[in-house]
Amino acid sequence: MTLRECYAALGGDYEGVMTRLMTEKLVHKFVLKFLDDGSFQNLKNDMAAERYEDAFREAHTMKGVCLNLGFTRLFESSSEITEALRGGNTAKAAELMPLVEADYMQTVSAIKQLG
Amino acid sequence: MSKHNKDRQKVLIVDDSKMNRDLLSEMLGDEYDIIEAENGAEAVAILRKEVVSISLVLLDIVMPVMDGYGVLAAMNSNHWIDDVPVIMISSDNSVSSMRRAYDMGVTEFISRPFDALIVRHRVVNTIMLYAKQKRLVSMVADQIYEKEKDSRLMIDVLSHIVEFRNGESGMHVLNVQMLTEVLLRQLVLITDKYNISEADISLIGKASALHDIGKISIPDHILNKPGRLTDEEFQIMKTHSLVGASMIDQLTYYKDEPLVKIAYKICRWHHERYDGRGYPDGLKGEDIPISAQIVALADVYDALTSERVYKRAFSHEKALEMILNGECGAFNPLLLECLQKSSDAILKNRKEKKADLYIVGREHIALDIAQYDDLSVSGKTADLLEYERMKNSFFSSLSDEMHFEYIASPAMLTLYPNNSGLLAEKTLINDPLNDDNIREFTSADDLAELLSRLRKTTPEEPVTEISCQAKLKGEYHNVRIVCRSVWNKESEYMGAVGKIVDCGVCTA
Repeated sequence: MTLRECYAALGGDYEGVMTRLMTEKLVHKFVLKFLDDGSFQNLKNDMAAERYEDAFREAHTMKGVCLNLGFTRLFESSSEITEALRGGNTAKAAELMPLVEADYMQTVSAIKQLG
Repeated sequence: MSKHNKDRQKVLIVDDSKMNRDLLSEMLGDEYDIIEAENGAEAVAILRKEVVSISLVLLDIVMPVMDGYGVLAAMNSNHWIDDVPVIMISSDNSVSSMRRAYDMGVTEFISRPFDALIVRHRVVNTIMLYAKQKRLVSMVADQIYEKEKDSRLMIDVLSHIVEFRNGESGMHVLNVQMLTEVLLRQLVLITDKYNISEADISLIGKASALHDIGKISIPDHILNKPGRLTDEEFQIMKTHSLVGASMIDQLTYYKDEPLVKIAYKICRWHHERYDGRGYPDGLKGEDIPISAQIVALADVYDALTSERVYKRAFSHEKALEMILNGECGAFNPLLLECLQKSSDAILKNRKEKKADLYIVGREHIALDIAQYDDLSVSGKTADLLEYERMKNSFFSSLSDEMHFEYIASPAMLTLYPNNSGLLAEKTLINDPLNDDNIREFTSADDLAELLSRLRKTTPEEPVTEISCQAKLKGEYHNVRIVCRSVWNKESEYMGAVGKIVDCGVCTA
């Protein structure tokens, strides 16, 4: 799978990220680094343990990373959960969690197929 | 990642996401050395340690432990923000959070998603702007300092001429100047009735150096008569105040300069008395300008506490007592209160004496300039210098060794007190090679040998030492003097720092 195909599979903005980071090599490198980013796992743990303040920061971080990498789909769902947590709406955040998880899984699986 | 290079500027990246830090350092790493912090508390710890070497901070807002606003608050309270620009990484571009960040001193924003070119441009521009401003401030400070130094120098030379004829050292003028400024600072704390500004204090202090210029017209045999003056001689002596005033009054130019106006008042009326029984005009009470009242008191105090051909020096306490008892003239009660309340400051200033005037000068100017908003730099350098001095003098005071600093031109030696009880306080010696105390301390041959070894050192091999004998507390001791020569950027020899180690009493 090429980088462009990978972005299509995870619902991302390939053109945008290429403009900002300028080289395919750099985008490739950071897309792979996303697999090591712990913010999703931390968010999941914090939600389960009802540590909502920590959960907010993790969601916020993940949102920022997705924005930087142009992972539009995951950015949108992580933004929603971030805003729910910022406003203290924990029930809504819990409701959104499965969607975030599904988007995250899809993103990770696309990256793993990257050649 | 990035190689550490001495000449490259350092950027501190503060973000809790490793991905974001990596991305930013990837964008900047070619041109800058990068330091990373993963929360605000870490960033503050790094800044505390190496703020001087950091050229810019990239700061995230939402972080665990301490957030970006916390870092900004710390940077404000420590005045780091004045020298280190901050670019905020904003995620939510809400107006209120941006305003708050600007209020706290942030220079620029970078928003996500990061764009490599924009990040690089913002960083380069911000660093350059700050560097340019710092250079400008430093240039202005240098120029003001030079000007200030020259004018002080001219006044010093002028007043020294008078004292030179008088057989005095030149210290009287400096002492009167210092006392005048100390008393004025105390006066403004007690009352605002004279409406004296900080600029007035500096002006009156400078003008005070001219109080006795009229003495230039007094014949030698009267001016330097060791015994008591006859009535007739005293009448002639008394003319110096009017003569001084008319010398200033007859200046063709500059008559309207504040300095000249004040100098006129001081020359003319520094021998008036608060009770109206002084000369030349018999002015009474507040009819005597406050500048002249203050200089009169400073003049009397310094005359009492200094040694003269016809008298020994009285202690501060004795002089104070004599003045308060009205034995040496009549003064404004407010000024007498100032004199009493300034005792500590006066004693401290007298010890530190002249040399500090010039050393401290430049920092003061830099700090003054820093107060103008549009040219704001903090006294970061001055603070650090002050901190280093404090540290040196503390460590030195705990040690049995005596630490010193030697400046080659103009020659000056600073000795720090140590644990041996030999020296109670920091001592400055001008022209140490010709100083009686230094000659007493060690032989001219040993001193010459030490200086010649220092001269042979190089910036690459600056350390030298000499073992010799020196007189400590009246006994000859074997001592080891270890020095490190100091060189400036142009590799010119500036002087040396070093220590004197006591190796015990000579047995021979």
